[in-house]
Amino acid sequence: MFELSTNVATPKQLRQGDYSAYDALYLGDFSCPDYPKNFSADPDLLAGGVDTVKSQGKKCYLRLYAVPSNHDLPWVRKVAEKALSLPFDAFEVHNLGLLLMLREMGCNKPIHLGVFGNLYTDATARLVKDYGVTRVYPNPELSLKEAIYIRDHTPIEVLTPVHGKIPLVVSETCFIVEHSDKAVEGDCKFSCSQDHWLTRTKGEWSLKDTGRMTLSGSDLCMLEHVEELAAARLSAFYVQSHGEDVGYAARVGEIYRDALTRAFAGEPQGDLSSQLEALKGLAKMGLCNGYYYESAGRRYFGEN
Amino acid sequence: MTALLAPAGTTEMAFAAIDEGADVIYVGPLGWSRRPYESEMTDDEIRTVIDYAGARGKQVRVVFNTFPSPFEMDGFLDKARRFDAWGVSGFIVTDPGAIALFRRMFPHLVLHVSIGSGVTNAWDAQFYRALGADVIILPYRWGEEEIAQTRAASDIGLEVFLFETVQTGKICPGKCIMSSYLKFRDWQEIEGKDYFYGSANRGAKECYRVCQTKWDFGVADEPPAPLKLRRDARLMLEQLPRFVDLGVECFKLSGRERPTAMIRDLVRFYRKVLDGIESGAARDMALHADELAALQARWVSEKRKRVDTLMTRAAGLRSDAPWIASA
Repeated sequence: MFELSTNVATPKQLRQGDYSAYDALYLGDFSCPDYPKNFSADPDLLAGGVDTVKSQGKKCYLRLYAVPSNHDLPWVRKVAEKALSLPFDAFEVHNLGLLLMLREMGCNKPIHLGVFGNLYTDATARLVKDYGVTRVYPNPELSLKEAIYIRDHTPIEVLTPVHGKIPLVVSETCFIVEHSDKAVEGDCKFSCSQDHWLTRTKGEWSLKDTGRMTLSGSDLCMLEHVEELAAARLSAFYVQSHGEDVGYAARVGEIYRDALTRAFAGEPQGDLSSQLEALKGLAKMGLCNGYYYESAGRRYFGEN
Repeated sequence: MTALLAPAGTTEMAFAAIDEGADVIYVGPLGWSRRPYESEMTDDEIRTVIDYAGARGKQVRVVFNTFPSPFEMDGFLDKARRFDAWGVSGFIVTDPGAIALFRRMFPHLVLHVSIGSGVTNAWDAQFYRALGADVIILPYRWGEEEIAQTRAASDIGLEVFLFETVQTGKICPGKCIMSSYLKFRDWQEIEGKDYFYGSANRGAKECYRVCQTKWDFGVADEPPAPLKLRRDARLMLEQLPRFVDLGVECFKLSGRERPTAMIRDLVRFYRKVLDGIESGAARDMALHADELAALQARWVSEKRKRVDTLMTRAAGLRSDAPWIASA
């Protein structure tokens, strides 16, 4: 009926987290190849990871590095080669060169186009579909109407993020390392394990920075709109949990599992105030609706 | 043979750039080229510029570097057909699907892949070549090694911005939507659109250059450090002879929003430099260092003015859509 997925960067997070609310997991941090024990960067971790996820009865997708430079491509290729021999259900790519490389490698697995794949049009969706893409994560700037149009006019499956910080920027270099007095050449000291924030008092702007990726300060929250999502026949939903504590995905997933189940069963949502309070408690800089309702991404529009 | 591409935010700037020796100028149609309306042109102005350039043996590229909405693709393609009929020589395009469509519609025109497409490796160049693109603009961070690797991997034309290679900071064209997360403005009547598809990536709603203003950065419970997310770009000089040797075919000046006098002087300067390299008469770039330093000072000054203007505009704008009541 619907699929709810989230992301898991490392074997440790996979062991420690509770992902019982989810139907599928995206393994790997696509933004940083130096992140310790990152599924996206270490082929030796893949067999254990996919076994663990499959043993829980979930689909397992592998995220590939989003912004590979020429010198990254050989190791990214090794990761992909290893993953091709394992029971992953799909690869996620953000880079069109890598998409071409996968095709030339004879990739026979479905491919998902990730958030930094610049998917804005059905013309592009049709193009990447010819390269084996079966699911697209539209650029967050698109409205719900536009995402639905792309789904219907390509046609192609569309991943709909329902909660979590919005990926805004991905870079080949680490902003935290550049401004850290702890990191040294070749050893970042994992400084991103601490929460880093970009703030600007003038304008009350805040963004979360994880080094190579900058995320929205506020958490996207579509809890009050799940009936609309179900009515639109969207079916692949995603909780963005990169950069969050291990308990975040569990609590958010639980809330959305319940809400989506009710919505798809045609049951009323009832009073969501306690769930919204819980989600606000997890969001250090409040909630937003992203661009779904044709506004600047940081606004929040409730049902009422 | 290398080409010098120059910006034309106005007809005055277009005429100046052509007269000073630009081989190609690029112009943005209102609402379709990631600049505020005062740095874009009406269709009639673009036709005037095409005629002026054609009479002097020069070329015009029209910049379609927005990611169009799926709802506006028909209008997007109609615009392109009109400019083709008027004699434009090519387009600069960002959306991969649009590049593929343009190739089929305009097999006789030159197609450039815009910096906003977010290329990061030589396989990207192969991908866009397979779509039929003729020229690819290379990332700001790339140096000689990446250029050589891309030259070896594909026969696509190579274009570089006349900026120094920069390795630090958030420089992420095609991978950044920070500005629209924080602020957007409504379309203005002059831009010819009355609907919301709102951000710098998607039309005349300009990028507010939020990466170039001052932020506080740090860990939650510690005093933050004030910083900008990227440092000011510097004009390129020393790398030019080697880049020409490596097969770079197009050198691009940015600055449609700069004063015409600034662009005129930069075109004159780089025309002289590139001609000297190509003829072999002046490959020592130290000859031009003092002149570049003076231009660089003007460039930075104008850039700061521009960022200040944009941030002032952003401060005056709402972050909500006016027709939607917030909860």
